[in-house]
Amino acid sequence: MSIHIHNITKTFGSFNALKNVNLEVKTGELVALLGPSGSGKTTLLRIIAGLEFADEGEGKIEFHGSDVTNRTAYERKAGFVFQNYALFNHMTVAENIAFGLRVMKKPERPEREDIDKSVTELLRRIALEGYGGRYPSQLSGGQKQRVALARALAVGPQVLLLDEPFGALDAKVRKTLRKWLRQFHDETKVTTLFVTHDQDEAFELADRVVILHEGHIQQIGSPQQLRANPTNEFVADFLDCVMI
Amino acid sequence: MAAIIDIHPAKHRTRVRRATAESAWSRWLVISIAVGFMGLMFVLPLVVIFQEAFRKGWDGYIEAFDDRATMHAIWLTLKVAAITVPLNTIFGLAAAWCVSRFRFRGKRLLTSLIELPLWVSPVIAGLIYVLLFGAQGFFGPSLKEHGIKIIFALPGIVLSTIFVTFTFVARVLTPQMEAQGQAEEEAAMTLGANGFQMFWRVTIPKIKWGLLYGIILCNARSMGEFGAVSVVSGHIRNKTNTVPLHIEVLYNENQFVPAFAVASVLTLLALATLILKTLTTTKRGAA
Amino acid sequence: MARTRHVLPGFRLSLGFTITYLSLIVLIPLSMLVWKASTGGWDGVLNTITHARVIASLKLSFTTAFTAALVNGFFGLLTAWALERYSFPGRRVIDAMVDLPFALPTAVAGIALVTLYAPNGWIGAWLAQYDIKAAYAPLGITIALVFVGFPFVVRTLQPVIADLSMELEEAAACLGANRWQTLTRVVFPALLPATLAGMTLAFGRAVGEYGSVVFISGNLPFKTEIAPLLITMRLEEYDYSGAATIGVIMLIASFLILFTADLLAQWNRKRTGH
Repeated sequence: MSIHIHNITKTFGSFNALKNVNLEVKTGELVALLGPSGSGKTTLLRIIAGLEFADEGEGKIEFHGSDVTNRTAYERKAGFVFQNYALFNHMTVAENIAFGLRVMKKPERPEREDIDKSVTELLRRIALEGYGGRYPSQLSGGQKQRVALARALAVGPQVLLLDEPFGALDAKVRKTLRKWLRQFHDETKVTTLFVTHDQDEAFELADRVVILHEGHIQQIGSPQQLRANPTNEFVADFLDCVMI
Repeated sequence: MAAIIDIHPAKHRTRVRRATAESAWSRWLVISIAVGFMGLMFVLPLVVIFQEAFRKGWDGYIEAFDDRATMHAIWLTLKVAAITVPLNTIFGLAAAWCVSRFRFRGKRLLTSLIELPLWVSPVIAGLIYVLLFGAQGFFGPSLKEHGIKIIFALPGIVLSTIFVTFTFVARVLTPQMEAQGQAEEEAAMTLGANGFQMFWRVTIPKIKWGLLYGIILCNARSMGEFGAVSVVSGHIRNKTNTVPLHIEVLYNENQFVPAFAVASVLTLLALATLILKTLTTTKRGAA
Repeated sequence: MARTRHVLPGFRLSLGFTITYLSLIVLIPLSMLVWKASTGGWDGVLNTITHARVIASLKLSFTTAFTAALVNGFFGLLTAWALERYSFPGRRVIDAMVDLPFALPTAVAGIALVTLYAPNGWIGAWLAQYDIKAAYAPLGITIALVFVGFPFVVRTLQPVIADLSMELEEAAACLGANRWQTLTRVVFPALLPATLAGMTLAFGRAVGEYGSVVFISGNLPFKTEIAPLLITMRLEEYDYSGAATIGVIMLIASFLILFTADLLAQWNRKRTGH
C-alpha cells in the first residue's frame, strides 16, 4: 500500500514542528526518515499513524488513494512500533501478539484456534518459539523489539511505521537486528517507514532516505543519490559529518 | 532553501479524537461522578457543620465558647499538642533521616512499624496504655503506690496521642528526602562541615516545606484525636476532656449549636491544613 | 560480618533514637496487649471469641469495612483518573479535598455525617422516602468508612496513573482497539494492582475506625455495634483481658490482610517487572 502525504504542517504552541511536508511512499518500499533530533521526523510518523493530527488546512494524508486525514488511529490501523516497544506488561508475549486480533469486531475476528496459529507462526518468524508464555519483563531488549514488531504485524497492517526501532539497543544487537529486518522486509514486502538519527542505519536498510531538518524535507533519494548529489549545504554537512 | 516562517496561529483539528482521549460525553460523565461523589461525601458534611454551628446566628456561635468546660477543653488540647508535636517532629526527622539515607537490615520492618498507627485502631492505641498504666495494669499498683496518675490524666492523653500521630512527619519527609537524594549533604561533608552544620544548613532548608506540612498535619491530627484519647481520658469534665471529647459530650447532651461551633474550629484547622498542603506541594516538588 | 561504612553521619544516632522511641511508644505497649489477652488463659480467650456479641461485632466491622473498600475502589479509580487525566474547573480544589479525612477530626466527621444521614437530616430524610435507613444501621457505618478510606485509594492511584505511559494506549489504538477496549484491556489491568493496594489500605484503616463511626452507628448490640466500640465497653466493665483479646484478634486479622496484600504486590511486581 502506498502513502501520500500532501502539504502537512504541524505546530505545537508557537513551535513549527513540520512545514508543508510532501512525501510519497510507494507500495512495498522501505523508507528511512533521517534527521537530527528535533527535526520533526517522529512527529511526521505519528501524524501518519493518527496519533497526532496536523494543523487544519489543505494538508491531507492518503493511504492507497483514500483520504484518511480525519480517521482516528484505531481506524487507520497502521502497524506502529514504539521506540520503547510499549509492550503490555501484564500480558504474556503470546497475549501481546494476539491483542490486535482479539479486539477485532466479531465478524472479522478470527477463531480462537486461528489466533493461536498465527501467534505460533509469528513467534517462529521472530525466532522466539516457546517464548509465548513469558512476560515482557523476562525478555531482553532485542527480544522485546521483535515481539513489538510481531504484535504490529499480527493484524496484517498494510503499512509499518517504526520509531527509532533500534534506538534503545546496544551496538551489537542493533547490527544483527538490522540485517534481520531487511531480510524480513524482503520476504513480506510491507510498505515500511522508519525513523532514525543514525545515517549508517538509514543507508544500510532503506531503499530511499528522506532527510528532515527543522520541519522541512531537505532531500529525498536513494543512498547513492544522496551521497553523490547533496542538494544543499545542510545535507552535505550532515552526511559529511558521518563520514569523517 | 530559505526557511519559511509560518506566522499563522496554530489551528487544531477538533473533529478527530486523539488515540489517548475519551469522548467528550464519557469525560463529562467521569468528571460528574467524581465531583458528585466528592460533593456528597466531603463538601456536604462541611456545609452541615457550619450550618448547624450558625443555626442561632453569629451571637449563638460566639456564646458557645463562653463556657468554662469548652475553654478548659481547648486549653487542654493546646497543651497536648504542644507536647506531642515537638516530640513527634524530632522522631519524624530521625526516622526519615535513617530510612532515607542509609541501607540497613530490617529497614522494611522499621518502615512498616513507622506506618503502624494508620492500621492500628485508635481504640487499641488507647487500650494498650490502660493495660500498661491502668489501675489493674502492669505498672498500675506501683504507680498508685507513688501517687502517680497516668491514665485518666494528662500523661495518658499525651502518650496515646503520640502513638496515633507519630507517623505523620516521617511519612511526609521520607519520600521527599529519598527523591531529593543526598548529593548536597555529601558535598557539605567534603567541604568540612560537621554533621550538625550539614543538617542545619543543608538538610533543613531542603526539606522545610515538607517539614512544615508534616508538622501541621501532625498538629491537626493530635488536636483532633478521638478514639485513643477517649479510652484513656475517663471523660472528666474540666479535667481530662479534650476538644473532640468535649464535642461528643455536648452532642450527646443535645447541645447541638455549641457542639458544632466547637467542631467548626477544628474544621477550620483541617481546611487550613489542606490549603497549606496544596501550597507546599509545588514548593516541595521544586525545593 | 564486615562493618558497613556510611558516608553521611548520624546513622547510629538517628536509628538508635527511632528504635528507642518506637519501642517505648509502640512495641512495649503492644506486647502488653498480647500478654494481657493471655492472662485469661485459653479458656478466657475462647470464652471471649465465641461470645455471640463479639462475633457479631467483628463480623460487622469486617463486612462494612470490606463493602466500603469496594465502593472506594470504584469511586477512587474514577476520581483519580479524572484528577490526573482531565482538566476541569475546580480540579485543584477537588484534589486538595481528597485529603480531608486525614485532616478532619474523626469525631467532627462523625457528628456531621450523622446529622446528614439521620432520618431528619438532608440526605436521611430523602432516603427515608424510599424506606432506606442510613444512620443507626450498617449502611451508615459503611458510609462513614467510605469517607475515612477514600484518600488511600486516590493517593495510591494518582502517581501510578501519572506514570502510565501514553504509548501503551497509543499502541493499543494502532492495533485497532477502540477506546473502551483500550481502557478495559490495557489501562485497567495496569491499574488493577494499585487499585487493590489502595483498597487494602482503605480496608485496613476502616476496620479499626472509631470516631467517625460511633455517632452514626447507633451502637445496638448484635446489630450496629462495631468491634472497637466493644473494646471500650469491656474496658468500662474492667474486663481488661476480654478487651485485650478482641484487640489482638483485630490486630492479627488486619496484619494478615495487609501482609497478603504485600505478598500479592510483590508477586505482581515480579511478574510485570514494575
